[in-house]
Amino acid sequence: MSEFHLTEDQQDCLQELINVAMGQASDQLARYLDTFVYLKVPSIESVDAKDLMNTLSQQKNTMAVVSQGFFGYEGIRGEALLVYQEEDSGRIADLLGYEPDELSQDEQLIDISSILTTTFLNVFARQIDNQMSYNAPKLLPSAKENLSEHLQQMPFSWDLALKVNINYQVTDYSFNCNMILLIPETAITNIKHVLDRILAEF
Amino acid sequence: MLDFNALISTTMTDTLTLNEQVLKQINSQIANQLNTGVLVLDADFNIVIWNRFLQVHTDKIAKNTLGQSIFSAFPELPERWLSRKFSSVFQLNTPSFCSWEQRHHLFELPHTRPITTDSEFMAQNCTFLPIETDCKSKYICILIEDVTDVCHYQTKLQKTLAELAQISRIDGLTQIYNRRHWQESLEQEYAKARRHDKKLSLIMLDLDYFKLLNDNYGHQCGDMVLIEVSALISSLLRVEDIFGRYGGEEFAIILPETALSGAIELAQRICNKIATKVLIYKDQAIKVTVSLGVAQLSVEESNYEELITLSDNALYQAKALGRNQVCSADCSKSLLID
Amino acid sequence: MSPSVLICDDSNMARKQVLRSLPEQWKTSVQTATNGAEALTILRDNSIDVLFLDLTMPGIDGIGVLQGIQKLKLKCSVFVISADIQPEMQSKVKALGAKEFLRKPVKPEVLTNHLQQHGLL
Repeated sequence: MSEFHLTEDQQDCLQELINVAMGQASDQLARYLDTFVYLKVPSIESVDAKDLMNTLSQQKNTMAVVSQGFFGYEGIRGEALLVYQEEDSGRIADLLGYEPDELSQDEQLIDISSILTTTFLNVFARQIDNQMSYNAPKLLPSAKENLSEHLQQMPFSWDLALKVNINYQVTDYSFNCNMILLIPETAITNIKHVLDRILAEF
Repeated sequence: MLDFNALISTTMTDTLTLNEQVLKQINSQIANQLNTGVLVLDADFNIVIWNRFLQVHTDKIAKNTLGQSIFSAFPELPERWLSRKFSSVFQLNTPSFCSWEQRHHLFELPHTRPITTDSEFMAQNCTFLPIETDCKSKYICILIEDVTDVCHYQTKLQKTLAELAQISRIDGLTQIYNRRHWQESLEQEYAKARRHDKKLSLIMLDLDYFKLLNDNYGHQCGDMVLIEVSALISSLLRVEDIFGRYGGEEFAIILPETALSGAIELAQRICNKIATKVLIYKDQAIKVTVSLGVAQLSVEESNYEELITLSDNALYQAKALGRNQVCSADCSKSLLID
Repeated sequence: MSPSVLICDDSNMARKQVLRSLPEQWKTSVQTATNGAEALTILRDNSIDVLFLDLTMPGIDGIGVLQGIQKLKLKCSVFVISADIQPEMQSKVKALGAKEFLRKPVKPEVLTNHLQQHGLL
């Protein structure tokens, strides 16, 4: 067991923070998209580097991966990966309220990813009295081979990743994607400090 | 200058104001010396601030631009899409981005590398940041980065990589696929045929008496024949057929979704066309012929190499039977039985 | 006299958060449940005056508990405390008899305010 694994209390606290963030984020999204967003409880798993590679390579029709770096105070930073399956990409333009000919499929994926990531992480950060900045989102070219390559070339080494499975269902069709938050070692230690601080308040 | 001194000599309570004043000056000077375009919009998308970078690059006059809607100041902007993007920044209070990789530029600004680049306008990375002030009014700050260089070199790199990839697949003399790429393709087509239970045929062919041709007319003539024959065969193929140079004067054609009868038919056509074609080398008429071996993938083969062996055997059969003809794996089998 | 209180949430932290936000005099008679089934058992076997209920829980969720309360014709005041705060969800739980819908994380002053409004304080 790695020293970066969270205790039961820390895990519970983090899950609660993420639930609240996800709830507020989908409320904001529903208002913005002017539709009802049905939200399932996001399942959160902490996975280590090896497991993540295995999970991702098992996903057969991974179509696209968008990556976006985030960084806040107290050394909390990481990279969000949004993983889409082939069948999820069809009506993103519709969902965003764009005309399909206004932008390419790639740009649609990048736009929705950025909105999902930043909306969620902003609320998450606010709860822990933090504030996030973001890098421009990037589409990894041809997802399949490049995802593992990308993970190997990360600017930081990471042992633990938080895999947050988000499932957004929008009124008349379903839209799924996985959000994976990769958190470097040092940032995990920092997050644990923050969680402990919150837990100590009780 | 006088004003400045007057400010300093004012009472203690004004020190804060002075600092703010100085800060404001510093901030505005930084903003104006930045090599990044800075544009601030109010909630109605009207321009409230812009920096020198934009003034210089757009050649617009400040008093005509400030207070104007961004869409009338920059009519080239895709209004519907961009307003929706702006509203996401306002409503969700999150930043938004626009990269040259998806959209070369938003603003039609000239760039500073006019000779080396192929685009008329500056390639841009744009960032849209939500700004909230004390009085609860909301603004958007647009940052426009000049990435013409990045775009230029990236495009060049991609082009070069694509060229290299192409070169590594092509046989220098005949301009058809080389053996390595051809074999990789066969491996893929074999897997595809097996997976989807599709037909797959192969033609191996060899120029007859090529060594003699080289001896009589010289290697330049031999090269010319290889080039001409390759071109002739290419003209008879479908786009999905994969034609490669297998060895010196040996060629091979992968025929996806093709049964043996179709492959034999094509092989016969190639055989006839080449036999009747008159090639000219240094004013001399030269006639060449080819022998061809054809095979179709059956349930028996357990790898693609076996398919090569089958058509190769048929090719030897065609040679043995007097050249300038087609043999199939079927008839070579039946011949062996006879 | 302080009412008997039940807090139902699968998260330990969330339960503590609610507990901490309760009026001082209420804190003596609080029971907790970590899922809907557990909550319904406690509700059936004890007389609970006020229930603070999370919506998203494994097994029987908050909606299931509200339906159970209606079925059992129990007379307790339910305050839903949830992370899922979309208007559709709010009207859904109110239609199922919830007194109020509070967004997570719940704050003491907000909770007190709502308890007063419903004449519980």
